[in-house]
Amino acid sequence: MNTNNTPIAELNNICKQFRLPTGAEIKVLENISLQIRSGEIVALLGPSGSGKSTLMRILTGLIAPTTGEVLAYGKPLPGFHPRASIVFQNFALYPWLTVYENIAMGLEWLKLPDDEVRKRVRQAVDKVGLEGFEEAYPKELSGGMKQRVGIARAIVVQPELLCMDEPFSALDVLTAENLRAEVLSLWLDHKVEITSVLFVTHDIREAVFLANRIVVLGSNPGSIRIILQNDMPHPREMRSPAFLAMIDRIHDIITNAIIPDEIAAVTPTAVQRHIEPLPYVSPGEILGLLEILDDQNGSIDMFELAQKIGKDFGSTISVAKAAELLDFVDTPKHNVIFTDIGKKFLASDMNERKILFKRQLLSLRLYVVISGMLQKSARLNLDEEIILEQLAIVFPDEDVEKLFDTMVGWARYGELFGYNADDKVLYLDTGQETAG
Amino acid sequence: MSLIRAYVRLRRSVGWIDPLVFLALGALLYGLVGVGKEWQSVLRPKVEIDLSPWALPKYTFFSLVRGFVAYAISLVFTIVYGYVAAYNKKAEKVMIPLLDILQSIPVLGFLPTLVLALVAVFPRSNIGLELAAVIMIFTGQVWNMTFSFYNSLRSIPTELRETARVYKLGWWRQFTKLELPYAAIGLVWNSMMSMAGGWFFLTISEAFVLGTKEFRLPGIGSYMSVAISQGNVPAMVYAIIAMTTMIIVVDQFFWRPIVAWAQKYKFEDTEASESPKSFVLDLLHQSRFLKLVREDVWQPMYSSLSTRVANGVVAIEKQERTLPPFIGKFFKTLSGWVLMVAIITVILFGAWKLFTLLFVINGSEWLSIFLHLLFTFARVLAAVVLGTLVMIPIGVAIGLNPKLSRVLQPVVQVCASFPAPMLFPLVILVLSRAGIGIELGAVVLMLLGTQWYILFNVIAGAMAIPQDLREVGNVSRLTQWQTWKRLILPGIFPSLVTGWVTATGGAWNASIVAEYVHFGDRVLIATGLGSTITNASDTGNFGVLTASVLVMAGTVVMVNKNFWKKLYHIAETQFSLNK
Repeated sequence: MNTNNTPIAELNNICKQFRLPTGAEIKVLENISLQIRSGEIVALLGPSGSGKSTLMRILTGLIAPTTGEVLAYGKPLPGFHPRASIVFQNFALYPWLTVYENIAMGLEWLKLPDDEVRKRVRQAVDKVGLEGFEEAYPKELSGGMKQRVGIARAIVVQPELLCMDEPFSALDVLTAENLRAEVLSLWLDHKVEITSVLFVTHDIREAVFLANRIVVLGSNPGSIRIILQNDMPHPREMRSPAFLAMIDRIHDIITNAIIPDEIAAVTPTAVQRHIEPLPYVSPGEILGLLEILDDQNGSIDMFELAQKIGKDFGSTISVAKAAELLDFVDTPKHNVIFTDIGKKFLASDMNERKILFKRQLLSLRLYVVISGMLQKSARLNLDEEIILEQLAIVFPDEDVEKLFDTMVGWARYGELFGYNADDKVLYLDTGQETAG
Repeated sequence: MSLIRAYVRLRRSVGWIDPLVFLALGALLYGLVGVGKEWQSVLRPKVEIDLSPWALPKYTFFSLVRGFVAYAISLVFTIVYGYVAAYNKKAEKVMIPLLDILQSIPVLGFLPTLVLALVAVFPRSNIGLELAAVIMIFTGQVWNMTFSFYNSLRSIPTELRETARVYKLGWWRQFTKLELPYAAIGLVWNSMMSMAGGWFFLTISEAFVLGTKEFRLPGIGSYMSVAISQGNVPAMVYAIIAMTTMIIVVDQFFWRPIVAWAQKYKFEDTEASESPKSFVLDLLHQSRFLKLVREDVWQPMYSSLSTRVANGVVAIEKQERTLPPFIGKFFKTLSGWVLMVAIITVILFGAWKLFTLLFVINGSEWLSIFLHLLFTFARVLAAVVLGTLVMIPIGVAIGLNPKLSRVLQPVVQVCASFPAPMLFPLVILVLSRAGIGIELGAVVLMLLGTQWYILFNVIAGAMAIPQDLREVGNVSRLTQWQTWKRLILPGIFPSLVTGWVTATGGAWNASIVAEYVHFGDRVLIATGLGSTITNASDTGNFGVLTASVLVMAGTVVMVNKNFWKKLYHIAETQFSLNK
């Protein structure tokens, strides 16, 4: 169908902006150029907020980019990509259709004779191991089986490019492991006529295990940090030194991008000069991180931490960053280690913790500014609206309401100031509540 | 016990059900031929009604057919209107507020225009009048269905939409495989409510006065109104029995099977433990004849037809795409302009007509309209407050007791479907014995029609209060009063607001029959906007009619916007149990 020279799909200088309900523009992708050629498995790897799913949707033509060029076989994409299909994160099966009907759905527009449809669906069912479930409805299946239907539906149309949007992330660990290996063997054994695979993931191991090209994305706005070639032969052994070295390398790339080492260089207790947004993390999560650190004798690898707390890498980094902002931990490279303040904080009782937490809050410019505003206000309180407006000006790229909630959460924990949700006002905690 | 055994035997004897199916089909056919004859017969504006109980089955069937024809129109309207509003952003901005306004116009606001226009179109046959009646019933059915369909379309998950594009379903398949199934359950429940809403004004829709002319169509509504005007209490009771029978039959033989069948379109990941069942549907599944029709006639026909439509649509879509862009653009903008000009012309024409109608009303008449508005406002408020005070304890008692709610919910549904205006004369009789006049009595009449909405929602709200929250209440030894204040009232609040909104809307609409009640040869009139509207319609005073309908619709929309929407917001943000 095509020579190896023309890419199956190609992006040139893609930018994508969304308009928030508040009217603000938010940039999710910036200046992305990427080519998918035949015979490769490409991973789009990035933390949450890196726009990786959006990128896949632009590549296949589900979403139009704000600027830039999308090509299929060297020509501008007409609507949806003619030879691509997609496996969705949450399966996207039609609950009122049987497994058979769901799979056959993709074939209808080809207007094949009934016999041919039956034959193709049966083959797809065989390949993903769904024999005997043809007449079942999706709600009767487990998550793993549902995703098998999703995969069968995607391969039955014999696509050249199979796209998968975090295909295993809604499954439990064991099921995901199993299905991942099966998908890989489908491809390796040429059981399916797919020439290329593109998949979106936040799981570094998954990317290294499956892909021979890994596109590492950075966030805010999403952009390509680096594209890594991964030529390890299949099947890949997850504990082999080469595999682990690859994972380490990607860790370094991601963590350095998200937590620049300069932050750690700011002298502790001195108030920052810039206002920093807070990661959307609760004090409880920070405390949880410190507890785990304590169990691990004060130092843990960021990746290990992600597994321990059962969160994706992006969220884990947010927690670590929050703890670092408060100077409870340091994050040299991709390690997390205790600071003295952090140790002291964990060893304290409830009251001392609050006092310490409050002191650390007051080392953050954001809290200094807002406390100052509150003190200057006539009745020691301020409307939520005013704060939201200020935050929106200072942090045009942030979700201001989420930031506000986080900020209030921390302030409440440190008893720095309070928030009355009925009247929607912040008030200074002076021991006695201000009259509403 | 013997019933259950008979039922089991019925289920075992396959094929037993077929003769019944044939019989039912035959009866239906016979009835429809009768309806056809009636509709095509020479125009008789005022038909004589036979008050003998033996005439009632025929009349009931006539009314039933009107209800179903109106429902069919509602369904088509809903799908077209909802679809356009959901997918055309520009149209949506006009269509959704317009729907809000249309919803709050009482049926009499449509009546004169409809009747005059349709009778003019069909001067010789009954079709014009019949259609007028059908469309009046339609105005009582359609709006909530349209809202439901529109909201369903808007809430289809993104990934499902994307699969439709990835697998190139095209317009028709996307509609039949994704959009219609996704909206099915909401549409079915709202259809049931709509049918009930359509019956509410049956007496008005079938028998009405317009200026000097009287119109009356053969039907159970007319039967009732004749019985009322003659003060024939036994006939009124017959009519009530016939109506109740019809509602139960339609519920059991039409809605229950559809609700049970629609369960396959439920959008949930895991299988529910208990889902609605219908014994009629189970029986119909036993019919060999229906199986034959389904498998050998309907399915092949549908699939070939569906393929043809789908391919046809794809061909059209392709053609459009292959048109040179500038021509396509030209056509798009041209048709857009033509549509725009057409709409603007219609609006201007309507506005001009409205202006000439309203121009003749003088200042004192306007003053009187607004004064009457206050009276009706007070009654609506009183009816809702009273309904709330009575229905909260009952609804909570039913809702917190699973056994009771399983038994009583269907009963409540049937009660709610019964058109309250049919009971008005009997209630008036009782009230006058108790020495209550129509001015206060109208509140009771309004209450009769609208209390069910409150009851429904309170039951649903109480059922939704999680068990663990109630256990916490027990553990912390809350007193009866504390339990109500801390748990039950906040818990039912969101659904109570929903109930209030529907009840208030219903009360406003009901005012046109509750404030103006025919009783024997007298008419009891309570001071208010509702009676003003009905009176203006009866006397053919179109200026006052239009003005008061506008004032009422405006008031309802304003109150919705400025009060209920805000209350909704509070209910959703502060009292929602879904968090």
